[in-house]
Amino acid sequence: MTTSRRQFLTHSTAVLASTVAAAEALAQGAGGLTASGLVGRLEGSEVVTDPARMPRTFKEAPELAQLVQQGRLPPVAQRLPEEPLVLKPLNEVGRYGGTWRRGFVGPGDGENGNRINASDKLIFWDYTGARIIPSIAKSVVMSDDGKVTRVTLRKGMKWSDGAPFTADDFEFWFEDIYSNRNIVPTGIADLSPGGRPGRIVKIDEVTVEFQFENPYFLLMDMLAGDTLIGGGMSVGMYQQRSFGCYAPKHYLKQFLPKYSSEEQVNARARAEGFEGWLRMLHNKKDWNLNPELPVLGPWRTVRPINTPTWVLERNPFYYTVDTDGNQLPYINQIVMTLAEDLEVLNLRAMAGQYDMQERHIDLAKLPVILENRDRGNYDLHLDLAYNGSDTTIHFNMSYTADAEIAKWINNVDFRRALSLGIDRNQMNETFWLGLGTPGSTCPAESMPQNPGPEWRAKWSTLDVAQANRMLDAIGLTRKDSEGFRLRTDNGQRLRFQVQTVRAFLPWPQQLEMVAQHWRRIGIFAEVREMERVLAFTRTNNNEHHMHVWTNGGTELLYLFPRHAIPVDPVEAFMGPEFAKWYASNGSLGREPTDAGLKRIFELFRSAAGQRDEQRNNTAKEIWKILVDNVYSIGTVGQSPALMGVRLASRRMGNIPSRACIAQHCRTPGSSRPETFYYKS
Amino acid sequence: MISFFVRRLLLAILTMWVVSVLSYVIIQLPPGDFVDTYISQQSASGSTVSAAEAQSLRELYGLDQPVWIQYGKWITRILTGDFGESMEWRQPVKDVIGDRLWFTVLISVAALLVTWGLALPIGIYSAVRQYSFGDYAFTLIGFVGLAVPNFLLALIIMYLSFRYLGANAGGLFSAEFELAPWSWAKLWDLIKHLPLPSVILALGGTAQLIRIMRANLLDELRRPYVVTARAKGLPERWVVLKYPVRAALNPFASTVAYLFPYLVSGSVIISIVLSLPTVGPLLVRSLISQDMFLAGTIVLLLGVLTVIGTFISDLVLMWVDPRIRHQMD
Repeated sequence: MTTSRRQFLTHSTAVLASTVAAAEALAQGAGGLTASGLVGRLEGSEVVTDPARMPRTFKEAPELAQLVQQGRLPPVAQRLPEEPLVLKPLNEVGRYGGTWRRGFVGPGDGENGNRINASDKLIFWDYTGARIIPSIAKSVVMSDDGKVTRVTLRKGMKWSDGAPFTADDFEFWFEDIYSNRNIVPTGIADLSPGGRPGRIVKIDEVTVEFQFENPYFLLMDMLAGDTLIGGGMSVGMYQQRSFGCYAPKHYLKQFLPKYSSEEQVNARARAEGFEGWLRMLHNKKDWNLNPELPVLGPWRTVRPINTPTWVLERNPFYYTVDTDGNQLPYINQIVMTLAEDLEVLNLRAMAGQYDMQERHIDLAKLPVILENRDRGNYDLHLDLAYNGSDTTIHFNMSYTADAEIAKWINNVDFRRALSLGIDRNQMNETFWLGLGTPGSTCPAESMPQNPGPEWRAKWSTLDVAQANRMLDAIGLTRKDSEGFRLRTDNGQRLRFQVQTVRAFLPWPQQLEMVAQHWRRIGIFAEVREMERVLAFTRTNNNEHHMHVWTNGGTELLYLFPRHAIPVDPVEAFMGPEFAKWYASNGSLGREPTDAGLKRIFELFRSAAGQRDEQRNNTAKEIWKILVDNVYSIGTVGQSPALMGVRLASRRMGNIPSRACIAQHCRTPGSSRPETFYYKS
Repeated sequence: MISFFVRRLLLAILTMWVVSVLSYVIIQLPPGDFVDTYISQQSASGSTVSAAEAQSLRELYGLDQPVWIQYGKWITRILTGDFGESMEWRQPVKDVIGDRLWFTVLISVAALLVTWGLALPIGIYSAVRQYSFGDYAFTLIGFVGLAVPNFLLALIIMYLSFRYLGANAGGLFSAEFELAPWSWAKLWDLIKHLPLPSVILALGGTAQLIRIMRANLLDELRRPYVVTARAKGLPERWVVLKYPVRAALNPFASTVAYLFPYLVSGSVIISIVLSLPTVGPLLVRSLISQDMFLAGTIVLLLGVLTVIGTFISDLVLMWVDPRIRHQMD
C-alpha cells in the first residue's frame, strides 16, 4: 500500500487514497438546499488515464488551422507535447469559437484571470477539491523518506510562443529569480520544511527534483494548492510576486543583470520608462500586464489588465486536449470589461452582459438575479463553500493594553458564553437568505480534516440562559442600570470593541446584530467600522479586542492556516504577538501561555513531516482544540456568499451544476474553463 | 495692466507650489502606505504577502524613506515632465490619466452645454414671467433637481433603462465597440451613450443657475434704465436681452474659475455609479489604495486648473463687464 501511495501520480493515476471517500461525500453535501434546484451535483471534467482511450490524432480551432496553412504556426501535433493531458469534458465534446464576456474591477483584480488560467500548475485538484490530478507535470513521485520529490514533465511541451518548456525553466526560476535576494529578499516557508531551506535541481531535460533535508510529505498538497510554491506562474509571478516554481528562461533572462550587466538592464529599463531593472522585471514577468510574456495556461493576455478591457486569447500551444483529440480551450477569447463599481457589475451580469461570472456577484441580490434569469438568458447556480464560517469573530489572544479586557478575552468560559449568546439562525436568515449553515469554525463534514459532526454545534448554538450562568460564574455579576455587566477593576461598564471592515460581506451590519444578541447576556460590544488598512494596521500593532473576517481557506488547514491559527504575521487576527513569535522561531513577539494555543503550535509544527493520514488526524486534533476553546467564534458558513453565486449563460455548455469553491480549487479553475464552449 | 499680470502669475506659481506640498502631505496622512493597502487587498483575494516581501516592496517604491525626501524626488521629476509610475496601475501616470482625461473633458463639456442651454432660457423666462404658471413649474422642478443627489438619480435612471429599455448599464461604449478601433459606428455609439451621464451631471447645476439667473435678472429688470428703454419704445425682447441679461451674466463668468477643476473631477460619484472611464473614479481609487504618484498628480492637476481657472475668470469678467474694466483704468 505504501508504495502505491507514494507513487500515486505516476502516469496520471492521481488519486489521494485517504480522500476518495470524502470526494464522494462532497457531492452530496448540499442538504435541504438541493430541493431549490439551485445547488446541483458536484461535477466536472475528468482526466483520462486509460491509454486505450487516449486520442491518437489531434484537431485544432479553425483560426489556428488557418495560421498553420499560412505557415505562421506549426501543425497541432507539433505544438502539443508527446503526451498531452487528456480531459473528458463534463457533458460532451464542445465546438470551437466564441468570446467569453466577464467583468473585472481594476488592475488589482488579477486573480479574476489567474484563476481561469490556473491549470499552469504542476499538479492540481480536480472538480471535487479532494483529488489531486496531474497538470503540467506528467507525474510527481515522492521518495519513501519524503525528502526528495521527483517531477517528470511532458516531453515536447511548449510555451505560448513556441519555445520548449523544460527543466531549465525550473532551474532558472530557482537559481536566478528565487535565489536572487534583490528579487526575493528571504526564502519562503513553502520551500523550507522544518526551517531548513530546500533546493530545486534539474536532473535532465524533463526531470526536476525538489530536495529537502527534512521529510516534507505535505509538499504534494502544497504543489497542488494555492500556495506560493504551487500556485503556478499565473498567480505565482503576477504583480510584485516572484514565486511559483518555474519561469520562461528564454524570455526573462534578458531582463536580469546576470545575463548581461547591471548597467545594460538599467539603461533598458530607463528607456522603457521604469526606474530600474527590478521595476521592469516586475512588470515583464506579470502575464496580466505583459502580452509578450510566454505562458502555459489555456489563454494569454493580448490587452493588459491596466486598460478598460482586459482581453485574453487562446494559447495555441496549450498542452491539453479533449477525448476526441481537439486541442483546448474551445473558447477563442475572454473579454473582461472594467466596472468601476460593484453595483454596475451586478447589474450588467443580470442584464446578460456576462457569459459566466461568479466573482464579485452579491448574494444579497439573489432575488433580483433569479427574477431576471429569462431576460438575461442565464442560469443561476449556487456553489457552497467548505469553510466553517464566512463571518468569524477572532479574539485577540495576545491583547495586553487593557488588563481587564485581556483577562476576559483569555478566559475560556467568557469566550464560550459570547459564542452561546449569538442567534446564528437569525443571522443566516437575514444575511445569507438562509443559504448558509450555522455553527462553529470547523470545515465542512465532507472535508478530510473535519473533526466530526458533533463539533459543528459545539459552543455554537443559542443558549442565553447558559451563557448568562457562565458569565455570572466567572465573576461578571455586577450590572449597570441598562443591564450591561461591569468591569471588576473600576466598576465602569465593560466595553468590548469589535473591529469590522466592509469587505466581502456587510460585516458592520452583521456585527450590529450580534451586538444586539449580546445585550441579552449583558455584554456591551462597540462595533467599529474601519477602513481596511486602518484595521490591518491596528491588528498588526496588537491594538484590537476582536476582529471580524472570514475563515475562508481553512478547509485545508495546512495550505492556508492563517484564518484559523495565528502563525502568519501578515494576517494574525487571533494574536499578532504569537504569530511573530511562531514565524520568527521565537526571536520576536511573545510565546503564548494558553495551554490550548501551545498545543496547537506544537501540533502544527510537526505536521509538515507527517504522512497524509496522520497529518489529517493532526488537523482534526487542532480543530477540536480550536472549537472547544473558541479562540474564534464561528457564525454562518458553507455558503455561496464568496464566489458561490454563479451566473452562466444558457448558450454555454459543459457548465457544472455545482463547482468546488475553495481556496485550493482556484474557483473556477478546477471546473476547467478550457472545456466550456458556446452551443450556438 | 502688465504689473497686474506679473503679480498674478507669481502668486499663481506660489499657490501651485503650496498646493503640491499640501496635497502630498494630505495624501500621506492616513495610516499605512501603498504596501499596507496592497497587503490587505491581497489577503482579500486570498493571497499571501510575507513581511519580507512587504519590506522589499517598500524599498522598491522608496516608501521606506522620510516623507520630505519622497516629496523632493517626486517634485523634481514633475518639473522635468515625468509624473512617475502609478504603483497600482503599474504604468506611467500620464498613460493612466491619458485617455480618461479626454473622456472626462468630453462628458463635462457636454454636461456644461446642457446646463447652459437649459439654465439660460429658463432663467430668463422665469424672471420675465415672474409668478406665472411656467415660473412655478420650473421653480418646482429646479428645487427637486437641487435636492435630489445626482448619484441617486443616476442609479434610478440606470435601473429604469436596464429594466425597460434593456440599455447598456453604465459605460461609454457598448461591448462590441469597446475593443473596436475608432470608426463612425464607434463614434455614433459614443454619442448614443453621452446623453445619460451628461444630463444627470447637468441637472444639479442647472437648477442652481436657473435660480441665480432669475434673481439677478429680476434685480436688473427693476432698474430705471429698463424703464427708460421701455418708455423710449424699444421692443420688449430687445429691452431684456440687450442690457439686463448681459448684466445678469456675471455669475456665469465667475463660475469659469470652478469650471476647470470640475471638468476633471466634477463627476466623481456619477462616474463611479455609471462606470464611466473618467478621471473621477481614478482619483478615488488612487486615494484609497494610497497610490502616491497617481493621487498626487491628479490633486496637483486639480489645484493648477483651479488657479488657471481663477485667472481666466478674472479676464472674462473684465471682458464681459465694462464696469470692472473701467475701474482698473
